[in-house]
Amino acid sequence: MQQQQPQPQPSPKPKKKIRVPRVVNGVEQMVEIEVDEDTGPGWGPNDKHTLLNHKITRVDGPKKVTGMALYTYDMRLPGMLYGRILRCPHGHARVTKLDTEAASKLPGVKAIIQGPLTELRFAGAPVAAVAATTPEIAGDALRAIKVTYEVLPHVVHATDAIRPDAPKVVAEENNLQEKAKNGDLQKAETAFATADAIVEGEYFSQRVHHACLETHGMVVDYRGGDSASIYASTQGTFTIPGDAAKELGLEQSKVIASVEHMGGGFGSKFGIGIEGMFACRLSKQTKSPVKLMLTRYDEFVMAGNRSGSWQKLKAGVKNDGTIVALTARQYRLGGIGQGSQAGQPYIYRMGDTYREVYALHTNEDSSIAMRAPGHPQASFAIESLVDELAYKIKMDPVAFRKKNLRDEVYHRQLDRGAKEIGWSRRNPVAGGNPGPLKRGMGCAVGTWGGGGNNQCKVDVTILQDGAVYVAVGTQDLGTGTRTYTRAIVAEELGIGMNDVEEHIGNSKLGAANPSGGSTTAPSLSPSVKDAAIKARMMMAERVAPLLGNPKPEEVVFSGGNVSANGRSITWKQAAAALPAAGITSHGVWRADLQARGVHGVSFAEVEVDIETGFIRPIKMVHIQDGGLPLNRLTMESQINGGMIQSLGMAFYEGRVMDAQLGMQLNPGFGDYKLPGSLEMPEMVPIIDDDDKREAVIGIAEGCIIPPLGALVNAVFNATGLRIRDLPITPDKILMGLMNTTVISRG
Amino acid sequence: MTKSRDRQEDQKQPGHDPSRRKFLKGVGIVGAGAAIADQLWVEAEAEEQRPAPDDIKGRVKVVLDVNGEKRTSQVEPRTTLLNTLRNHLGPAVTGPKLVCDMGTCGACTVLLDGKPVYSCLVLAVDAENKKITTVEGLGSPDKPNAVQAAFVENDALMCGFCTPGFVTTISAYLKKNPNPTLAEVREACKGNFCRCGTYPRVFEAALAAAKASRA
Ligand code: FES
Ligand code: FES
Repeated sequence: MQQQQPQPQPSPKPKKKIRVPRVVNGVEQMVEIEVDEDTGPGWGPNDKHTLLNHKITRVDGPKKVTGMALYTYDMRLPGMLYGRILRCPHGHARVTKLDTEAASKLPGVKAIIQGPLTELRFAGAPVAAVAATTPEIAGDALRAIKVTYEVLPHVVHATDAIRPDAPKVVAEENNLQEKAKNGDLQKAETAFATADAIVEGEYFSQRVHHACLETHGMVVDYRGGDSASIYASTQGTFTIPGDAAKELGLEQSKVIASVEHMGGGFGSKFGIGIEGMFACRLSKQTKSPVKLMLTRYDEFVMAGNRSGSWQKLKAGVKNDGTIVALTARQYRLGGIGQGSQAGQPYIYRMGDTYREVYALHTNEDSSIAMRAPGHPQASFAIESLVDELAYKIKMDPVAFRKKNLRDEVYHRQLDRGAKEIGWSRRNPVAGGNPGPLKRGMGCAVGTWGGGGNNQCKVDVTILQDGAVYVAVGTQDLGTGTRTYTRAIVAEELGIGMNDVEEHIGNSKLGAANPSGGSTTAPSLSPSVKDAAIKARMMMAERVAPLLGNPKPEEVVFSGGNVSANGRSITWKQAAAALPAAGITSHGVWRADLQARGVHGVSFAEVEVDIETGFIRPIKMVHIQDGGLPLNRLTMESQINGGMIQSLGMAFYEGRVMDAQLGMQLNPGFGDYKLPGSLEMPEMVPIIDDDDKREAVIGIAEGCIIPPLGALVNAVFNATGLRIRDLPITPDKILMGLMNTTVISRG
Repeated sequence: MTKSRDRQEDQKQPGHDPSRRKFLKGVGIVGAGAAIADQLWVEAEAEEQRPAPDDIKGRVKVVLDVNGEKRTSQVEPRTTLLNTLRNHLGPAVTGPKLVCDMGTCGACTVLLDGKPVYSCLVLAVDAENKKITTVEGLGSPDKPNAVQAAFVENDALMCGFCTPGFVTTISAYLKKNPNPTLAEVREACKGNFCRCGTYPRVFEAALAAAKASRA
């Protein structure tokens, strides 16, 4: 017998290691992964697209504007009960007795369960939950539950919590926890001695709320048996089934999560949350579907907020504009949580730097990830400081920033923004304009990652009748995910937007990453593109005989036609050549189709009435790069959204806590001021087309960071008042004016 | 008077009759505008002192004219128009959204005899014998009205949760003022909140819709 020759092993595809962001609970962490070195075709030049990088109207638009789009909050199932959560009214307490007898006797009340917490560390902490036949009766039940509390001492303001004799948020633990020390204090001190000017400041940023218009919550459809369906208002379809299955005592694979449309998340909607836990338990107990959506009050007191910050900064500058040193003491104000705050000096070069970072706890619910977690806080403080340094040495703030920023992209963006806002009209003397209505301008700079990771698996199916489906379990938060998913496939196959249908928002479909940290577009779009390219190649192979047997890559898909060798057939004719079951391609992530690192520059003009302290935002400009803009229309909208949320943080929003009661005084839209139609300035969202990277990068976070600093600095330019405490409200302007000579300059 | 305060008071005296709260909801028809709403909350507080008459316990039949159709349901008299549309009609009418449930956001806006109201501040029993138009009644995905079409065209929506409220408010406003200025559009929208930040394009859409309707 002949000896069998060993078969040559197919050599494994060459791999390379790269670092990518992965989002856990909305916060980016970098992990190392292996990817193929050899890749497929790319996106091509950014200006050569037929659909992408154009203005494409939202595919879910027609349903949303007519009320036909179904959100989690709109689900109503037969026999469904309504859940509500009872909350602790004290800043710090223990439940000593929970009497549910009267409540459980109310007609329509089906279940009451006690919460999981033994110690309630903030007002609003969940005590119990009920399920009833109507939301009204569920409300009655909450009011009928008698709770006896042992009230413990609380502290809700950071400036109180830092005192050694302050009540402890966690017994036996210091409210102040050291987190990091970096740099060399000695060197920084030495460098200060070489500075021509020193600026020192203490900066506070408030806790703002996500205020998603659709509150957190879910509908758990479990009626006994071994499977369940869950409709969730979530930023991560795939963050739901695991935890829900645990609560329900089911296999994870038997719990299907769906999120067809969702009404805003901004970082606050990952996992089932405490409300989801209650919903599952209530459903399990009653064997009925349960809908538990938070009330607006609930949403304020415990569905999340952006970490507050308290920063003490000191910097030294030379007359030529060189910043020589910075020392920073940064307190993260995250309530019972850790809080978040980007490290100083943020994006600037500041010579010798030293910083200390602490978490400072109060009896408030934990802050959670909010659009660019930690960044607006750091940006606000450093941009205020940088601005002050520039004024101090009488250097133009734009020129000063260029001097201290290495990255050329910022330079061109600063020039562009200055032109757009009309920087030359600005009075370089702060508060120097005559009259009581004083205008001023400011600018600021920001960055973000925005890279993707390898979590998305996408199927593209083409049927014999020409129908095209693209399927992946991802979710659309209002960011335009549906639209670009469809557009990528349509463009690749040379057909129209209406010729493709997308299926998303369901955990039965291909895996997808949770939407946090601007990672969705750079994670999803490469997988969609990969699936679309593969579908095109499969189809090209099938139709080759009809077109004189070209190589698959020679077949052109364009304008609804498929052609090669001078022959052309219609899309429908081409599809007819497919096997009866059609074809399905599977797309995976490709690192080369995305990139990481965005730049954004903001300018703002405001008008301050120094007689009333009223601030009128006049104009905001934000320039954002992001590689290949998948859809210019939705990208501009998202930039607007970033600017507006930043505007809210600058002038309007902020949780107000009562020191005595330990509770929030403004847990509703009547008292918590969101920016509204009357506050809107002229807004100019600019996509930076000088960025030629042929790669998709997420931009959602990038555009919420620097507008804040630009607005705050515009107030300074207008009034000469450096207000370091957000939000800048009229009372702060008036208080500030009393201590300065600005009025007499008018 | 905020809802939370109301809630906390209730918690302090858990034995009281919770059905009294119905008076807080029973402030009648309120035009879109948070300021007016605030005013009415104060009046509602005074009302709250009265004892609850017996005849409003249990369920009553309501017949509502929703988007040109007679719809019937049994609801507790304290049930808002919004919750009746969403929770008690079959099939449900879920275009109007529940966002604050206290007249501060505009997401629940519907038209009562052509006038925009916050349906979370109207009792279903008070909406009988009136023409109720929700966002669904203004147009459909295939046949949108001018405002709906302009919203899509100008990308005046993101998550879309505030959108039914804006569309309804603006559709009613353009009937009243077919040729508005930007300032007037802003004023008309001041009772509606959007968190995603669609305002600039909402204004553009409103002006575009006005223009298209005039053409
Ligand atoms: S839900 Fe009615 S105004 Fe907010
Ligand atoms: S579009 Fe999301 S709240 Fe307005």
